[in-house]
Amino acid sequence: MSREKLERLGLNLPLFPTTSVGSFPKPDYLVRARADFMKGKIAPDQLNGLERKATAFWIETQEKLGVDVLVDGEMYRGDMVAYFAERLPGFTEGGLVRAYGNRYYHKPIVTGEVSWPGPVTVDWWRYAQSLTKKPVKGMLTGAYTIMDWSFNEHYPDRRATAMALAVVIRKEVEALIAAGCKIIQIDEPALSVRSEELPIALEAMENTTKNLDAYFITHACYGEFEQIYPGMLALAVDNFDLEMSNSDLDLLETFRRHPFTKDISFGVVDVHSHRMESAEAVRRRVERALAILPKERIWIDPDCGLKTRTVEEAIDKLRLCVEAAKSFRV
Amino acid sequence: MSSLLDSKLPGLRLASTGSYPRIGDGPELQILRRATAALDRGERNMADLLDAENEMTRRAIADQMRAGLEMITDGQIRWYDPISHIASKLDNVKIAGLQRYFDTNFYFRQPVVTGILKRTDALVAKDFSFARNALGHLPTPKHVTGKLSIKPVLTGPYTLAKFSVSSHAGNGAIDSFAALATRALAYADALAAEIIALTQIGASLIQIDEPAIIKYPEDWKIFEKAVAKLIAARDKHASEGRRPELALYTYFHDSAALYEKLIALDVDVIGLDFTYNPKLVELVASLGSPKPLGLGLIDGRNTKLEDVGEVARQIDRLLPKIHGGRAYLNASCGLEYLPRDRAYAKLELLGKIRAAVAA
Repeated sequence: MSREKLERLGLNLPLFPTTSVGSFPKPDYLVRARADFMKGKIAPDQLNGLERKATAFWIETQEKLGVDVLVDGEMYRGDMVAYFAERLPGFTEGGLVRAYGNRYYHKPIVTGEVSWPGPVTVDWWRYAQSLTKKPVKGMLTGAYTIMDWSFNEHYPDRRATAMALAVVIRKEVEALIAAGCKIIQIDEPALSVRSEELPIALEAMENTTKNLDAYFITHACYGEFEQIYPGMLALAVDNFDLEMSNSDLDLLETFRRHPFTKDISFGVVDVHSHRMESAEAVRRRVERALAILPKERIWIDPDCGLKTRTVEEAIDKLRLCVEAAKSFRV
Repeated sequence: MSSLLDSKLPGLRLASTGSYPRIGDGPELQILRRATAALDRGERNMADLLDAENEMTRRAIADQMRAGLEMITDGQIRWYDPISHIASKLDNVKIAGLQRYFDTNFYFRQPVVTGILKRTDALVAKDFSFARNALGHLPTPKHVTGKLSIKPVLTGPYTLAKFSVSSHAGNGAIDSFAALATRALAYADALAAEIIALTQIGASLIQIDEPAIIKYPEDWKIFEKAVAKLIAARDKHASEGRRPELALYTYFHDSAALYEKLIALDVDVIGLDFTYNPKLVELVASLGSPKPLGLGLIDGRNTKLEDVGEVARQIDRLLPKIHGGRAYLNASCGLEYLPRDRAYAKLELLGKIRAAVAA
């Protein structure tokens, strides 16, 4: 069904389309430039020029590797929630809180009514798409996750916050579609953290994508999906991009008990490890997927964003995905 | 003024729930982050890290005292996370990759049990001694003179076991650490030894954090057996007049379904998170409690400051139903999930709420 939708949208993708989850590592020159920008040492235009240069590098790299559906690599983003919170009226930057170990981030605070300030990601999508004839995904963070990863001082409860954000994210989706984007990924890594709130996450996504004509993907990771499966299949997207390899494909057993009814972007390489899997190990993961899932529904990609790997590691991991996919097409 | 108010509510004490932010926005509050990063780069040594931990611990204690708390902690400043901090100090545990901690956006490192768990050194007792000493060197605000206490915090055996995995096959399936029950009892043995050590150095109240049990109530029997070992450790030196209180704290989920079982446990205090179920206040008020409660009525996960009058009214409903009118007013969980300025504001709020209750 989803393959028909892709074709109707003019997207003729091969079997086992390859893609990636969104982020790539920033080249050293960009890491330094971002630090210099924060210290006021370089101007916004200078930083923007380097972000565009790094985006072009990653588009070219994905093309050379033979990836089918590209991403811009998020050279201009830091945190996936803070990026939007910094740009949406209604948010205030909060103080530092800990993510883990010695890693801290500024957790946003909803302090007023959230609203859409006009296109946030569209210019970057347009730029990335102008560099390639292959489709580039629009990349957004979902309303439920933005709500869950922010403090709320304005709305009466979590549901109200998520629904207000869904209105905003929908406008960004509409803007991407108007610009010509046909595949839009709306990440919901918080999807599984409160299983009792799955109805809120479902409603928020429904409000975000309903009656809009694009192929929708959502990425989720680090979760107890067993707790929300099969209910999560009602999420209003065409494709679930799931971290599979980090948990040794445990989810396949869950899919065996109750069929997985969407397309799946099947994570075949672990992004949390410097270790490079063998091509054979990656092929075995695809074979295990094929034992449970129809081949027409399987996309191939890494488990999660590759931004925590080195540039070389990220390229090697992507290459593994592409080679595995190609080997199953013959 | 404070003394007068306190005398009207002698049983309601202001308490910490455990953690406190180890970082703030000012450079003087970032010394631990800088020291840790410098250690990772090989530019500093462990002594430098210890200095920074000590300094931030002193600051956490000072903030709690300044806000008027009477039962404080060391802020768990030295804790990498609530799971690996304890597990990594035991023999035959390896620390592996990151896992999400409940429904927070905070991640812990997962312990892998590789053999018989063994406690060969203090888990938190040395940190407790440091904190108590640091507390003694700070001027005590007049209104808490003679009432100020400090408590050590331990993550409980069930929660540690639930978030660990095993690579140890053991001697047959029954002994295998792959079984949750086996891991929980093994952690309980190690924690029981720590409780005895804490008793010997004079801890009068020990907080045991067991957030996982209210999320996974189906494991109650395992949990109960593990906690029984801690209770036995608490009572071991009772005949010599040394018996600390055990405060069992739960959070990050709705505790309503387990409430009656929790208050029936032979522990001395039960800590509850009221933020997950708006009806929990009514449930507790209707069933009452035969033992003191930790009232987690202040949301430790959101920056919004609660309405003082509303929380005061909730306490008015609860306090008469708690045996002896004895309770701790605290945040729903440790405060390290908040920015430091907001965490301190929450601490100050506790005193304002008690004043409103007493008024």
